Amino acid sequence: MYLYDNFDQTITQQRIGEFRDQVQRRLKGELTEEQFRPLRLMNGLYLQLHAYMLRVAVPYGTLSVVQLHKLADIATKYDRGYAHFTTRQNIQYNWIKLEQMPDLLAELGSVEMHGNQTSGNCIRNVTADQFSGVAGDEIDDPRVASEVIRQWSTFHPEFAWLPRKFKIAVTGAAHDRAAIQFHDIGLQIVRNEASEVGYRVFVGGGMGRTPVIATEVRAFLPKDELLSYLEAILRVYNRYGRRDNMYKARIKILVRELGAEEFIRQVEEEWQASDRALVNLPPAEEDRVRKFFADPPYEKIAVPVAAFEDARKNDKAFARWVATNVHTHKVPGYGAVTISLKPPGGIPGDATDKQMHAVADLAEKYSFSEVRVTHVQNLVLPYVKLADLHAVWQALGKIGFADANIGLVSDIIACPGLDYCALANARSIPIAQQISERFADLDRQHDIGPLQIKISGCINACGHHHAGHIGILGVDKAGVEFYQITLGGAADENAAIGTLIGAGFSGDDILGAVEKVIDTYLELRQSGETFIDAYRRVGAAPFKEKLYGRR
Amino acid sequence: MAPPKPISKILTANRLTNGETLFYAASGTWSAFVTEAKIVTTQEGVDELTKIGADAYAANQVIDVNVIDATADGDIKPKDIREIIRATGPTVRLDLNKSMSPAGK
Amino acid sequence: MAVVDRNGPIADSWKRLADDAPVPQGGSVIVSLARLKSDDNALFAAAKNVGVEFAGDVNLEEVLAYLPRLSLIVARLTTMRDGRPFSIGRLLRERHGYKGDLRAAGPFIPDQVLFLLRVGFTTFEVDEGFSIDALKRAVAAFTAWYQRSATPATPTVIELRHPGNK
Ligand code: SF4
Repeated sequence: MYLYDNFDQTITQQRIGEFRDQVQRRLKGELTEEQFRPLRLMNGLYLQLHAYMLRVAVPYGTLSVVQLHKLADIATKYDRGYAHFTTRQNIQYNWIKLEQMPDLLAELGSVEMHGNQTSGNCIRNVTADQFSGVAGDEIDDPRVASEVIRQWSTFHPEFAWLPRKFKIAVTGAAHDRAAIQFHDIGLQIVRNEASEVGYRVFVGGGMGRTPVIATEVRAFLPKDELLSYLEAILRVYNRYGRRDNMYKARIKILVRELGAEEFIRQVEEEWQASDRALVNLPPAEEDRVRKFFADPPYEKIAVPVAAFEDARKNDKAFARWVATNVHTHKVPGYGAVTISLKPPGGIPGDATDKQMHAVADLAEKYSFSEVRVTHVQNLVLPYVKLADLHAVWQALGKIGFADANIGLVSDIIACPGLDYCALANARSIPIAQQISERFADLDRQHDIGPLQIKISGCINACGHHHAGHIGILGVDKAGVEFYQITLGGAADENAAIGTLIGAGFSGDDILGAVEKVIDTYLELRQSGETFIDAYRRVGAAPFKEKLYGRR
Repeated sequence: MAPPKPISKILTANRLTNGETLFYAASGTWSAFVTEAKIVTTQEGVDELTKIGADAYAANQVIDVNVIDATADGDIKPKDIREIIRATGPTVRLDLNKSMSPAGK
Repeated sequence: MAVVDRNGPIADSWKRLADDAPVPQGGSVIVSLARLKSDDNALFAAAKNVGVEFAGDVNLEEVLAYLPRLSLIVARLTTMRDGRPFSIGRLLRERHGYKGDLRAAGPFIPDQVLFLLRVGFTTFEVDEGFSIDALKRAVAAFTAWYQRSATPATPTVIELRHPGNK
């Protein structure tokens, strides 16, 4: 993975010094809250219901063992012994004290981490496919572009005060595991007819109160032109994005109001007029960055691996876990393990300090000391030998992270909701807990098959409910928590926004409603048909009828 | 004309230095416990709380200042679920909850 | 109201001219873009120095013809979070070659001055409460950058990493 050089370290240290000064001025009253708030947000610090919340950036979801141990230590020392992995591959702490922030950031900085640009109206932490570099299906490793974007977007003087937040995601494969079409900019690495590598560029996707699937603005952008093209998009947005209404300030609204064609024309005109050579990355720098993502020292392993095949044959529970939680690896004899942070009744994405230390130890022993965070709020050990999988599975069992449910009904995305979040209308986590408990039986889960449930506690849609096969949105109905169901959303290359199917359900009724939706699917599915395929075949009608009766 | 809605309100905020949820108490200080909150039932009372909150904000003691609805049959309690959760803690981590009163209720 | 540069307060003799005020003889006047457009000949003939002020919604095309004769451009941030002048600064310096004084006005805070300097601003109109102490610390907060400055004085991190590469 990428390691800081002296320059990266200097910039991070200087930021810590800057924020230390700002915190002191705030505590002394030299900065007002109005002045300080955007500064603390750009360092990842929010005020939530019970305390400050700190969001720490995990660039494109990649963590070293040293970093994960440090994150665990911070949970112990500055928080209440746990933290929450988010849909943007970051990690959040819920009980942070402003007066301790400078020291906390200094500790993070010691392992090349920070909270920079994890909030605020700036370019946020870039996200990418969690299987970058290990999936067999990618054209190029998206971590290279992601790191280049990380550096370019860090403290970019022109783009620190955008109309609204700005999120960029990168995938290197045709199968989209990074939900790029729901980002302000989505980059898909592609080849053109001449077999050159470049980007298919999407702009203006997003969730929130106006869900939009991104518009393709360029079918092929030559690889070396990436940064100048990004600057052209950002400059058009920074100058013309709406600043009069925060609900209309995202770039998706600008694209819509201008029309895609006019938006593209303006971006291309800006790009052509700019001095691209000054902004684009010199090839020597790309080469330097790329070296950090070279393959780890894999062993040459003959397949099939007898020990692994035997274990699979003899241990049905293990075989089931392998089927859902181990992703095919480009190197024979290896697998990429997804660690489920979704035990039945658990809080999706939460991990204790002890669990984090344990995962770090496993990564050190079995996965070249690297861990990934997924946008589905799970963790990944990207390079595990098939022969070690059984031991890894058993070790995960000891910390409660061995559930064989990746991609299944209990692998739920849930935002913090009203249990923590100051903007929430309703709780999300208890709904996820009820569903994962009701469907705890693994036979039942595996029978239901691939199904993505996503829950948001308000229309900001941090829980990606618009993109859930089953989406659940918490709303406030005269002071009472209510939940609306959407069906048919998808976050992959066939991105779709779910359709609201009818009136909401109370907190007591939502579980039953979800179960009815799933039962309806089970009744009408054809052989081998997944939930989303069945929904696309039959539409919402049969589900509506089951939930609300015939109209 | 409909009779005016009865007023029953308290003042809440978060402490600047550590973010802790606080309630303005009858004793004239800020308390972590909602049962100690000063409850007002008149518009003058609301105005007074609003001013106290604005002053404390201006003095950089607290942020996110709000006058909220509360009920007072028995112990003082916030009315809305959001504020009840703010007063006690996440409902999914009861082990981390604080009680509404110093007596541990 | 005071004017500062990166080192602190500076002397300033610019005066704002109301749109309906007569053009003075001599002196340094700041006018609105509308006034500049309607009265450009008279202004440039009579005043010693002419400056123009606008906010982030400006159509830069309307300013370009005057650039060689303008000695001051004031770009106003309507709020502390108004990022448009940051793009305007780079455009004026990098694309349109503006060489005069580029001044930021509005409710920005010392912590924002370093980025304003990076995008080409040179002076800053501030009110009484603006802390010069904080300014001095803020402009020294960072010494290394991934991005070029609109007025390149220091090499970027990328350039420093590849000294032979131009
Ligand atoms: S979706 Fe709403 S409730 Fe959930 S984390 Fe986002 S803002 Fe908070």
